[in-house]
Amino acid sequence: MITVENLSHHFELGKRGNQTRIPVLHDISFEIKQGEIVTIIGRSGSGKSTLLNLISGFIRPIAGDIFITDTNVTKFNETQFADFRLDNIGFIFQNFQLIPSMTAFQNVELPLILKGLSEKERKKITDETLKRVGLEAYHTHYPSELSGGQQQRVSIARALVLNPPIILADEPTGSLDSETEADLLNFIQQLNQEMGITFLIITHDKEVANIGNRSIEIQDGRLVQGGSAS
Amino acid sequence: MTGKDKFRFVRQNMKKSKMRIFMTVLASAMACTFLIVLASVGFGLHQTVLRDVMEEDAINEISIYGTEDEDGQYRNINKEDVEYFRSLDDVRAVSTLIYLNQQPEYIVDTHHIHANTRVSEFFGEEQAGIQLEAGELPSAANEIIVGYHFLQNLSPIETDEDVEVYDENGNILDELRYTEDIIGQTVSFTIEKYMGDDEFESKVFEAVITGITEQPAREWVEDTTVYITEEMLASIESYTETTKGNIYPEEDEYEQYYTGYDDVYLYSHSLPHVEALTTQLQDEGYYVYSVASQLKEINILFNIAKAGLIFIGTIAVLIASIGIYNTMTMAVTERAPDIGIMKAIGASPKTIKQIFLLESTYIGLLGALFGTIVAYIISYSVNFIIPLILEGVYGEPLPDGLKFSAIPWTLVVIAVTICLIVTIISGSRPAKKATKIDVLKAMRREI
Repeated sequence: MITVENLSHHFELGKRGNQTRIPVLHDISFEIKQGEIVTIIGRSGSGKSTLLNLISGFIRPIAGDIFITDTNVTKFNETQFADFRLDNIGFIFQNFQLIPSMTAFQNVELPLILKGLSEKERKKITDETLKRVGLEAYHTHYPSELSGGQQQRVSIARALVLNPPIILADEPTGSLDSETEADLLNFIQQLNQEMGITFLIITHDKEVANIGNRSIEIQDGRLVQGGSAS
Repeated sequence: MTGKDKFRFVRQNMKKSKMRIFMTVLASAMACTFLIVLASVGFGLHQTVLRDVMEEDAINEISIYGTEDEDGQYRNINKEDVEYFRSLDDVRAVSTLIYLNQQPEYIVDTHHIHANTRVSEFFGEEQAGIQLEAGELPSAANEIIVGYHFLQNLSPIETDEDVEVYDENGNILDELRYTEDIIGQTVSFTIEKYMGDDEFESKVFEAVITGITEQPAREWVEDTTVYITEEMLASIESYTETTKGNIYPEEDEYEQYYTGYDDVYLYSHSLPHVEALTTQLQDEGYYVYSVASQLKEINILFNIAKAGLIFIGTIAVLIASIGIYNTMTMAVTERAPDIGIMKAIGASPKTIKQIFLLESTYIGLLGALFGTIVAYIISYSVNFIIPLILEGVYGEPLPDGLKFSAIPWTLVVIAVTICLIVTIISGSRPAKKATKIDVLKAMRREI
């Protein structure tokens, strides 16, 4: 489902002509199969978020290739990657990343609008998705009127609404209390089992790492454990 | 993302900063109003002048006042030319005039007048549809028609030296005017001829007035002309032994100037025919004047003036576009986190750009719409109020139909197009900036 081959990346800091190169990832390779829940663990600054951003297409790798559903996404331009993300990848962020001026319904509906679905279809799918995450009574609530757990559920609903085969989650429980965290992890497992969605979760939390089929550990930009699928 | 959704999205975003959007639309509307009102003065005066020309001159009339012979020398129009004009498909009628080369004294009973005399081919006039104020066209050789002002300019022949004949405006006093019905009256006029050695001889001719021409279109024109028949001209010429009743014998080297017709008028079916005929005859070497050629010159002049006014108005729109640019730049900066989220979940740069371009276009369109409405109100007010002010200041009524401002639909289309182009251009840079927003920085609220 996701294959990363010899991926390397560095950041350049400072002014042009006087830049300092900061290496972030060195020759990373791993594979994730369809239906797996894989967690990427590592300490702060290990490069795990950079790895997720490279897979997401938010930044471009210096070297190496990333294949998602057998497509080499490193060759995509910005528009092609945007279309690919819309069709294939759902995102769950640590800070939920909901648009504050939109209601829960409108936030979940947004990918469907970008996809160009009719208003009638959008309403039906959005209603179903909000019901699935247990927020059918919160259609008209703005993010500021929801708890952290509820906001993360809206975020999950938005990630699910177009039935993507892959969901990438960056520290999904980072802003949640332990009780809500447990609920969310159960829900992720439920989605994985019922819908066969592949999850790639970035975390530094051992409990979160335990829900996965396997963990990939990164230290100082190098893969130290879990590179190959069982 | 469908166009409808983009529009809904734009409206939703605009509601977030109502006051700023209102001020930007207001600036655009004011600029659009300025552009339309300024240019409407050019359009209004153009319409007024065109109407003036069309009212004063016969639209279907072409005046031909000469041509060039084989040697490139000027000559008057002759009978062969007139026959050629009559043979042309687009020519409905041809009328000709010859000027009598002396100004006889016409006497009607106790009154007289010195009047210009024209020889008319009344057949052509009839075909051209000449309108008479009273009476009918001559049907016999010794019959004439007179100009509209002939009667009121007849002054008494014998008056006491101390009696005032004219009033303060130079008109003959009412009590001294000829009061009889002039039609049917016999007029006598004296033709002179030079006998040599400063000796002159004269002969009295008589004619009967059968009609009065209609009032000239131009109010300031005074027509006291007497129109005689070709047969009567022949009688005069046989007496003077000169062409066109010249008092003095002619010199042959100037023959081309005193033979032929002095004025020739062609009448066509419609203005397009007039334009075609004017061009054709000009190409054939005739000296031609028609409303079409005058209209062409007027149109060129006013189109240049209108273009200049539109250009000045466009500067105002350009100034307003700075406001739109500012508003859109602020909108992009404020919404950077939202743009980042949208890009992260799959919005393409093209979609983001279109949303912001649509927003600036919408602002421009609203400005143009309100600007046009206000411009119409101002235009009507100007046309209503300024004549009242000018009449109050000068104490005289202005000509009917005088327009200071006119807004044809073409001006609205031009103004709206300019507003839209300028707003799209001013919104394009912020829209492009929106597409360049870094997803990660935006989501971290670093922009």
